[in-house]
Amino acid sequence: MQQVFSVPKSMKKDFKYTFCPGCDHGIAVRLVAELLDEMNLTENTILAASIGCSVFIYNFLNVDSIEAPHGRAMAEATGVKRVRPDKFVFTYQGDGDFASIGLAESTHAALRGENLSGICINNTTYGMTGGQLGPTTIMGQKTTTSPMGRFKETYGYPIKIAEHIALCDGTAFSARVALDSVPHIKKAKEALRKAFQVQLDGLGYGFVEILSTCPTNWKMTPEQAHERVRKEMIPVFPLGVFKDVTAK
Amino acid sequence: MTQKELIKGNFAIAEAAVRAGCECYFGYPITPQTEIGEYLSQRMYDLKRGYVCAESELAAINMVIGATSTGAKAMTSSSSCAVSLMQEGLSYACSDELPVVLVNVMRAGPGLGYVYPAQGDYFQAVYGGGNGDYKLIVLAPSTVQECIDLTYKAFYLAQKWRNPTMILADGQLGQMMEPAEYGEYPYPEVDTSSWALTGAKGRDNRKIFSCASDEDEHNAKIRRLFAKYDKIAAEETEWEEHETEDADVILVAFGSMGRNIKATMKELRKQGLKVGMLRPITLSPFPEKRLSELADKCKQFIVVEMNMGQMINDVKLAVNGKAKVDLLNRPVGQWLSVEEISEGVHNILNHKELAVL
Amino acid sequence: MEKNYIIAGFGGQGVLFAGKVLANAFMLAGKNVTWYPCYGAEMRGGTVNCEIVVSDDEVSSVHKQYADCVIALNQLSFDRFISKIKSGGMIICNSSLVKDERPRNDIEYIFEPMTELADEAGNNRLANMVSMGIIFEIEDSLNQDMFEKADDIVLPETRKHLAKSNLDAFLKGYKIKTPA
Repeated sequence: MQQVFSVPKSMKKDFKYTFCPGCDHGIAVRLVAELLDEMNLTENTILAASIGCSVFIYNFLNVDSIEAPHGRAMAEATGVKRVRPDKFVFTYQGDGDFASIGLAESTHAALRGENLSGICINNTTYGMTGGQLGPTTIMGQKTTTSPMGRFKETYGYPIKIAEHIALCDGTAFSARVALDSVPHIKKAKEALRKAFQVQLDGLGYGFVEILSTCPTNWKMTPEQAHERVRKEMIPVFPLGVFKDVTAK
Repeated sequence: MTQKELIKGNFAIAEAAVRAGCECYFGYPITPQTEIGEYLSQRMYDLKRGYVCAESELAAINMVIGATSTGAKAMTSSSSCAVSLMQEGLSYACSDELPVVLVNVMRAGPGLGYVYPAQGDYFQAVYGGGNGDYKLIVLAPSTVQECIDLTYKAFYLAQKWRNPTMILADGQLGQMMEPAEYGEYPYPEVDTSSWALTGAKGRDNRKIFSCASDEDEHNAKIRRLFAKYDKIAAEETEWEEHETEDADVILVAFGSMGRNIKATMKELRKQGLKVGMLRPITLSPFPEKRLSELADKCKQFIVVEMNMGQMINDVKLAVNGKAKVDLLNRPVGQWLSVEEISEGVHNILNHKELAVL
Repeated sequence: MEKNYIIAGFGGQGVLFAGKVLANAFMLAGKNVTWYPCYGAEMRGGTVNCEIVVSDDEVSSVHKQYADCVIALNQLSFDRFISKIKSGGMIICNSSLVKDERPRNDIEYIFEPMTELADEAGNNRLANMVSMGIIFEIEDSLNQDMFEKADDIVLPETRKHLAKSNLDAFLKGYKIKTPA
């Protein structure tokens, strides 16, 4: 019988699945693992992990990794890459880590054109601490620190990360993708492949923002959560490629 | 013998780092140590080594963490209020057991303070401004030659013990010139292959991280770290000591102030007072055993510091009530002169009210 | 025996450069020596100074309350440091820019028109080198050979051509007799 589905080789054999049911982290981590396999990168990779739910990626992947303090993954990745330019180095961060506490590190790594790949999971909230308002919480969204919903007078506005990174001259590739449907997942994988490839080709900073669910903190079923990605998030955070220096 | 040359403290540290094999420098400007980064920008470029103008000290220390996680030698340098920004990274690096090298050319605090030299960061360096139980190795030079020698040593000890190591200098030492010579990097290269991140090829993947999965593991890890600190104390504690054999008074100071107490000792010996001196070269580990031994015979210690009295706490702990320990200090600005220290010693010995220094 | 010098003047008068030449010469003379500049915001007001401590033994503190000898290349420096000289010490003044007033009677004064002398030597910006000539004349342990060597050490590769004019200005000061 032909085997049509298997665990990527880059995944650890004995991993315990620790993400909540319906959370898109699982899909995102799998896409990363598939690409590490397909691009033959696993044994040459160093991962700078972050703080938040995204940190668990280092329990799943069979790659060398270093844990960064909150927001500093891009700084640590820069440190690794500058002394070991032959290694494939990437970060996997949440929106709070990448775009709030770590916005300076994220932006300046892009401005320096570091040959790094960055992945940012945008679920519009701080997941690990229980659903507080974050840099990408959308207007009107209720969180535990904006129980009346986000409004500009107190909370200001959300950041559009992929567009922001695309504005940096050192960025080779910046895209926003979603994981709410099979076609979107396929596109997401291709965007990640590009973000990895630009690093391998020495073209500069490759970045993908992944719109993602947080059913637990959104207090939704997985289906409702993906519906929210389509109905509420994509209109605010449009999908697409915002910069691609390899585009003809 | 190589000819000595007149070298500025900041340049001495920078060039010694190059000769120690530093593969990448990460830094952000702040007076009075900016020349370290300026010097290395050209030098590292010429040598085709790494150099990054970091966006902040937060980024700089974490870049060093990333670089050293691969087994590379790397460093950052900064000063006082900006070293405060690095405390989080130092706490992580101690827990991660990474050979980070950090230079703190102290200026005056608290807060922004001012650029003139001071010694107000002793507590921060020795007891840590970061969270949790950890210890840095802290080396305190007092001459430009020691800026070179202790920079070499910092790179070696950091890798030998897998522990962040700080050079605690001050603005005076950073800015002054003095004859010194580089010589050769005197230490063996340390094998990092058993732990460094190199890509999981032909082995299980490695994770360098500070958190523990449960309480038992966490307790065991911290106890193991502290067992390591005990070994470091046993093997690496270093100090300079003169004329303590018959001393009635022992002056204690670190860093640049060590120069002044040595001159004061000579001056007071001429006056017939039996004065000795001890200058800790490693502030962490601290020469507490030696001070305790000395306190069995000598009953008066005087600690001289450019702060409100920080290292004096460690001297008191070491002496443990066996002798009197007094402080001569000024928080910032003009360093206590030989004349002022001499007067202060006389006042203490004559039980006079201390002159306001 | 320790002795300390302060060299002070406007930014641009080559105060730090002269100090480095002096410190290097003392090193060549086999002495222990330190050079310590004012730095940071202290320099923003337009005056610059540096302190040189020389000793047969190890140098103790590199920045002292009082100086044995002050070289004042402008009036501001004279005003600032006249009270910072040890009794029995000396001040060497650039009388091209410093008024000949002698408020203390416990120190020695040397007034020489260094800017004019430098101009005679070919470059009026080299009053600092004239002052070095005077110091080297006074100090028994220093001589012209040491000046030339020290000047060569301090001059960067791109400025070696200035050695001649530095020496010309130096010699203007070197020929001035010490006070009785």
